[in-house]
Amino acid sequence: MSKALQGMLLFIASEATFFLMLVMSYVNFHKVIHFSAESYLDPLKTGMFSIALFASSFTMWCAENSFKKQNRGWLRFWLAITIILGTIFIAGQGIEYADLIEHHITISRDLFGTTFFTLTGFHGLHVIIGLLLLLSLLGLCTFGRKIEPTSGGMHCIAYYWHFVDVVWVFIFSVVYLWRYV
Amino acid sequence: MDITNAEFTSVYLFATEQAKVIGFLHYADLVLSIIIALIVGGILAYVIVRFREKPGDAEPVQDHGNTKLEIGWTVGTGLILAVLGVLTAGVMYSMSPPLGTNQPDVIVIGHQWWWEYRYPKLGIITANELFLPQGMNLLFEVRGADVVHSFWIPAFGQKMDAIPGHPNFLFYKPIRSGIYLGTCSEYCGADHGLMRIIATVLPVARFNAWAHGQAQVPPEPTVAQAIHGKQLFMANTCIQCHSISGTGAKARVGPDLTHIGSRTTLGSGVIPNDLPSLASWITNPQKFKPGCYMPNMRLKPADAHDIAAYLETLK
Amino acid sequence: MTELVFTKQKNINTLNDIHEYHGLWSWVTSVDHKQIGIMYIGTGLIFLLIAALLALVIRIQLMVPMNHFVSQSAYNQIFTMHGTTMVFFMGMPILLGMTVYLEPLMIGARDMAFPRLNAFAYWIFLFGALLLYFSFMGGGAPSAGWFAYPPLTEKAFLFDPGTTYWALSLLLVGVGSVATAINIIVTAFTLRAPGMSMNRIPLFLWMMVIDSFLIIFALPGLNAALVMILFDRLLHTHFFAPNFGGSALLWQHLFWFFGHPEVYILIMPGWGAVSEVIPVFCRKVIYGAGFMAASTVAIGFLSMGVWVHHMFATGLDNTTLYVFAFTSMLIAIPTGVKVWNWLATMWGGSIRFTTAMLFATAFVLQFTIGGLTGVAFAAVPIDWQLTDTYFVVAHFHYVLLGGLVFALISGFYYWYPKVTGRMLSETIGKWHFWLSVVGFNGTFFVLHILGLLGMPRRVWTYPRGMHGWAELNMFSSICSFILVFSFFLFAYNLVYSFFKGKIAGPNPWSAWTLEWATTSPPPPENFDSLPAVNSRRPLWDLTHEPDERVAGIGGQPA
Repeated sequence: MSKALQGMLLFIASEATFFLMLVMSYVNFHKVIHFSAESYLDPLKTGMFSIALFASSFTMWCAENSFKKQNRGWLRFWLAITIILGTIFIAGQGIEYADLIEHHITISRDLFGTTFFTLTGFHGLHVIIGLLLLLSLLGLCTFGRKIEPTSGGMHCIAYYWHFVDVVWVFIFSVVYLWRYV
Repeated sequence: MDITNAEFTSVYLFATEQAKVIGFLHYADLVLSIIIALIVGGILAYVIVRFREKPGDAEPVQDHGNTKLEIGWTVGTGLILAVLGVLTAGVMYSMSPPLGTNQPDVIVIGHQWWWEYRYPKLGIITANELFLPQGMNLLFEVRGADVVHSFWIPAFGQKMDAIPGHPNFLFYKPIRSGIYLGTCSEYCGADHGLMRIIATVLPVARFNAWAHGQAQVPPEPTVAQAIHGKQLFMANTCIQCHSISGTGAKARVGPDLTHIGSRTTLGSGVIPNDLPSLASWITNPQKFKPGCYMPNMRLKPADAHDIAAYLETLK
Repeated sequence: MTELVFTKQKNINTLNDIHEYHGLWSWVTSVDHKQIGIMYIGTGLIFLLIAALLALVIRIQLMVPMNHFVSQSAYNQIFTMHGTTMVFFMGMPILLGMTVYLEPLMIGARDMAFPRLNAFAYWIFLFGALLLYFSFMGGGAPSAGWFAYPPLTEKAFLFDPGTTYWALSLLLVGVGSVATAINIIVTAFTLRAPGMSMNRIPLFLWMMVIDSFLIIFALPGLNAALVMILFDRLLHTHFFAPNFGGSALLWQHLFWFFGHPEVYILIMPGWGAVSEVIPVFCRKVIYGAGFMAASTVAIGFLSMGVWVHHMFATGLDNTTLYVFAFTSMLIAIPTGVKVWNWLATMWGGSIRFTTAMLFATAFVLQFTIGGLTGVAFAAVPIDWQLTDTYFVVAHFHYVLLGGLVFALISGFYYWYPKVTGRMLSETIGKWHFWLSVVGFNGTFFVLHILGLLGMPRRVWTYPRGMHGWAELNMFSSICSFILVFSFFLFAYNLVYSFFKGKIAGPNPWSAWTLEWATTSPPPPENFDSLPAVNSRRPLWDLTHEPDERVAGIGGQPA
């Protein structure tokens, strides 16, 4: 396994622990109280945007395959689709945030706002960073030399993107689906 | 602070049943620790002398290790710890009978930077000086009003954190009468070091007399200065923070002053309780307890003296 | 014995001889692990001196009861900055710096796996540290202790910006620590010389790899807590505000989930350093290398499962407390195993008491004492008595000062010749050692007694008339002057020897690991060729017959 990939896996391990801390804190506050604000969450709407994120993992995998086959045209295509799907997810999050804030559910209103916005906000931040990384990959693909992007860089960023996806599976389940269990 | 009547403060004083039990564990651990320290120190001393390099020494035998020995001292260390572990479990469980549905005998509330004591079964609320009956296993509830404090009297054994939003419970059974000193034991801000605890354990009869006295409303002052002092007290901002039974002062921001005249110290153990000290405190508490929440009251010295005279009548 | 130097550039005697290191620009822009290591260590040492002076102020304030040497507000900032500096700006950079310096040399590599990340991590650490010290001028330094418990740290109680600076600074410094930890692990996994399997790397490195895994899994707990306190203070969230349903205990769980592994993160390099120093100066291989390595792994895992022992007095239920008492006692076993192995290494050896060996020897006893008081705290009822008293202060100074710092100083006397090309003065070293031992034990041993007499920690002052408090505090304070002086004597030795020390040569100690197989200091590329690596002691192998089992005792070759 390349140095870069080992490094990225270790970094992912660290970030995964960070999200674990945030999720456990969320669960700690929600296991006793049920907040009225929770009813403003719409699992179906958010679910649709989540599907965009999950699909982007699939398109990322397609991009990795194109990279392996050295097919730059397809690589650019799949990267672009991944970025678009990721952006749709972020846009959906943004719409959801705007909706909640309109209903006066803010980060400082109560513990629901506090924990919800912190947990989903950090995830969203990681998605945005991922989008920037993907854009840089796309840029290297389009304007870079033949050796760019490197295999190390390609796989690292792919792993990061998949990680961000997996984290969302957990967050979505805990925040949106848990109360139906 | 006049603490000359207080007992020698240490964890070895065992003023409660619970402290005795902890003491047993403590001594056991001390013995084990000293033995191990002497073994390590002894081997080290021997090695330093015996194996010091001498000129012409051949290279020592390169002993890489011995699995049996390794397992031996690993198991040995484990056994010593197992002994400690079993004793620990025993002591912990013996100190923690079920709380049941009992109402606490004493509620300790840690404030920045003073202690509030309530006796729900006796209807008493007081501050900074704790009185307890000897020979009874008392249930304490420990609460934090603002930040995390910790209630600890070394002679009583266990300390318990006072955490806002998370009341804690423990038992103390005082077994000898006397005055015991303690201290806040969780850093709580500016005056953490000046938040002292003074606990007086009395034989039951004398405790009952004390409790009876505490439940009384203090009589009206008769001396002119004290009368004037009471008028000033009720007319000024004092009543925004303090309460005195039987008057219009009912705020619970600061310590209850109903029987302040009979306390031995002021400011939670910072200065002695006498007329000049109390007057100085009222004029400028920040001088004695910088950072505390009682502001400089900006009173004329004569007025502060009169208020102090009034408060000293509240026995 | 011929010099075994595996580089073509044999004329290097001091750092001055390496033209790539001339000029400030070469240092500021460096991605060379040796320069970055030196910068880390140098910065850490400067903060050590600063924090030692802060400690001296503390001790002067506590010299007599009801003292007013500093105000209560200044005192609270000083003890907070003392602790925070020692842990994050002294301990972490020195251990990370020693590792990034030594690792490539020890494994026969040219540099770390990620040289630019290495540089980035140093500069972000420096920025974070300076940011926190700026707070003294920027509205107030943090004043809630190095573990900053809420609700005290909420804006409602501490509205000065100190805690905000503290959280921001530690987030930055934490990024650097995790980055270097990743670097250390990937370097060890991918850049080892041919023949050097993972079980043949020096024990110092083995322990630092485990240490790095701990950093990776522990820092997130701190980061989560810091993010939450920043949000509480800046965005009015309610994580730790009980009035809104927040939980003061949540902070304690998150912080100590990090905080406990952190103390193992701090001590492991000390164990690693003495595991290198003791065998060399006893001329005898480390006893039980396999058990030393395995016990480190065990400690790594166990250290993530003991954090609630910092919360025994918070009123949690007995079952929870007992589980953590059990794990805390369990972790004492592999720790004790190490002490027995160091003693067994010394037994039967031929011991040269150089300054490095003196500090390592003192370490063994002092660390043991600190470890024993730690075991006392694992016994929950004893913790109920003694937590948050000066007994704890004594405990952690025995393991961190008498333990870690003594071990690091031992490592410094050992490796300084390799880094600079010159020997540290043994004359000054002997004075340094004895003053340290007297100063350290004098200052801190009596603190055990103060704790038993009921003195709580983090108090600006204490009353007159408490039996023994004034006398013991006075004694401790006087000895603290000796201790702080010894640190300045050490600094003097470091500087003096840099210019006037005896030229060391490649291997002044006849040591055995690969860093000694090149010049002192090493050239930028470290090596041009490498010896065969068939054991943990390549240079020993080159000068001896194949190792034979010692007659009559079962042993395992390295």
